[in-house]
Amino acid sequence: MGVTCVSQMSVAEGKSVQQTVELLTQKLEMLGAEKQGTFCVDCETYHTAASTLGSQGQAGKLMYVMHNSEYPLSCFALFENGPCLIADTNFDVLMVKLKGFFQSAKASKIETRGTRYQYCDFLVKVGTVTMGPSARGISVEVEYGPCVVASDCWSLLLEFLQNFLGSHTPGAPTVFANRHDAVYSPADTMVQYMELFNKIRKQQQVPVAGIR
Amino acid sequence: MADVLSVGVNLEAFAQAISAIQALRSSVSRVFDCLKDGMRNKETLEGREKAFIAHFQDNLHSVNRDLNELERLSNLVGKPSENHPLHNSGLLSLDPVQDKTPLYSQLLQAYKWSNKLQYHAGLASGLLNQQSLKRSANQMGVSAKRRPKAQPTTLVLPPQYVDDVISRIDRMFPEMSIHLSRPNGTSAMLLVTLGKVLKVIVVMRSLFIDRTIVKGYTENVYTEDGKLDIWSKSNYQVFQKVTDHATTALLHYQLPQMPDVVVRSFMTWLRSYIKLFQAPCQRCGKFLQDGLPPTWRDFRTLEAFHDTCRQ
Repeated sequence: MGVTCVSQMSVAEGKSVQQTVELLTQKLEMLGAEKQGTFCVDCETYHTAASTLGSQGQAGKLMYVMHNSEYPLSCFALFENGPCLIADTNFDVLMVKLKGFFQSAKASKIETRGTRYQYCDFLVKVGTVTMGPSARGISVEVEYGPCVVASDCWSLLLEFLQNFLGSHTPGAPTVFANRHDAVYSPADTMVQYMELFNKIRKQQQVPVAGIR
Repeated sequence: MADVLSVGVNLEAFAQAISAIQALRSSVSRVFDCLKDGMRNKETLEGREKAFIAHFQDNLHSVNRDLNELERLSNLVGKPSENHPLHNSGLLSLDPVQDKTPLYSQLLQAYKWSNKLQYHAGLASGLLNQQSLKRSANQMGVSAKRRPKAQPTTLVLPPQYVDDVISRIDRMFPEMSIHLSRPNGTSAMLLVTLGKVLKVIVVMRSLFIDRTIVKGYTENVYTEDGKLDIWSKSNYQVFQKVTDHATTALLHYQLPQMPDVVVRSFMTWLRSYIKLFQAPCQRCGKFLQDGLPPTWRDFRTLEAFHDTCRQ
């Protein structure tokens, strides 16, 4: 488990999502990266139930329940800006029991799927973000396994990202700034995915609303 | 044991043999007396000759008789083999067919050879102990002059001394924690944790470092039964490379007379890896080359280089 940077890759001009993903994977293969199966990260949104809201007089909070194929036995439950709970996959069943407190938002499931590449100690995952049936964007995750402190290896990661993504290189993820020199954890990766998914959801909402 | 016993049994034969020798000597001297006296005290020449010959014959007969007796006794006495310098192998010298099987002479030759060999080996080991075993060139003369009376066997330092040296080094570098254990007898094993960057397993023999394995900060350094895993290598290429470089460093830092200095220099060098992911290469200025950060640290300046940039 190393330091991970998750970023969104904008779709190349005049190309589809699928074609841009292919361009990226080709670039990786040219670099000498080896294909190592596939990956999947999914996220489901839960509202706090109306009944509990009224009695406590709080604004409704969103909770995200996520899974990551890199940690197949775990389930991540996150609040925005809030704590992150790492539980066993049984947690999904528990959520069904907690219907009275948390209700699943309809058609809110968003996920990214793609191929996993290994290049030296780097793990690169290029995925297509889908919400329902439609592809909504591209996620690029780069993990540097040997290092566990984000601030230590950010310049090194940045150099790799510059080589790989060129002008689309992202800035440092916000989780890096908060962590200082603490040990990086899988939860930090999930927070980054959650932020990415929220960003993509918001982006998509505008044109969708326009069409309607 | 058998020899001693048989000698004890034949002591009587010995005594008889000695008296037989005395008898032989006296009979031989009688022969010469008779010859010295010549022919005399007889009237006629013929009578004189006859008497002389008869007398001479008698004497020779008695010599012959005594000789036979001695021979018979000598068989009874047996071989006093313990008197040979080569013990039982000395019996080979009694082999009558010397020309066909020159075993004994060959044996003596071999014995001389092995004696010589032992002598020369002793001289050589004496000379070698005076010389330093240093494998790298610099400071050779200096160290030899500075410590002329250095002990040749620094391998047998007391464990307490090793503990002291290690704990002093531990206190020297705050970002480095050293955990010493002795799972197998007196040889110490160190688990060095360098910041949040890497862990190093150091296998010591007294104060000499035998082997190092570099692993990631989060990697498991223990085997299933809770012992330090000194055999398996890191899963990450960068730490495999650092392991190689650390092994090179072990060969570089060699000073048999002052093993504590060696350990300290090695740890100082190792400490420079605290910036493994943060320091760009001093030659090409980049972080990555073939997907690896600068893994080499110069032995004197401790500057970071890529493996291929370091010349």
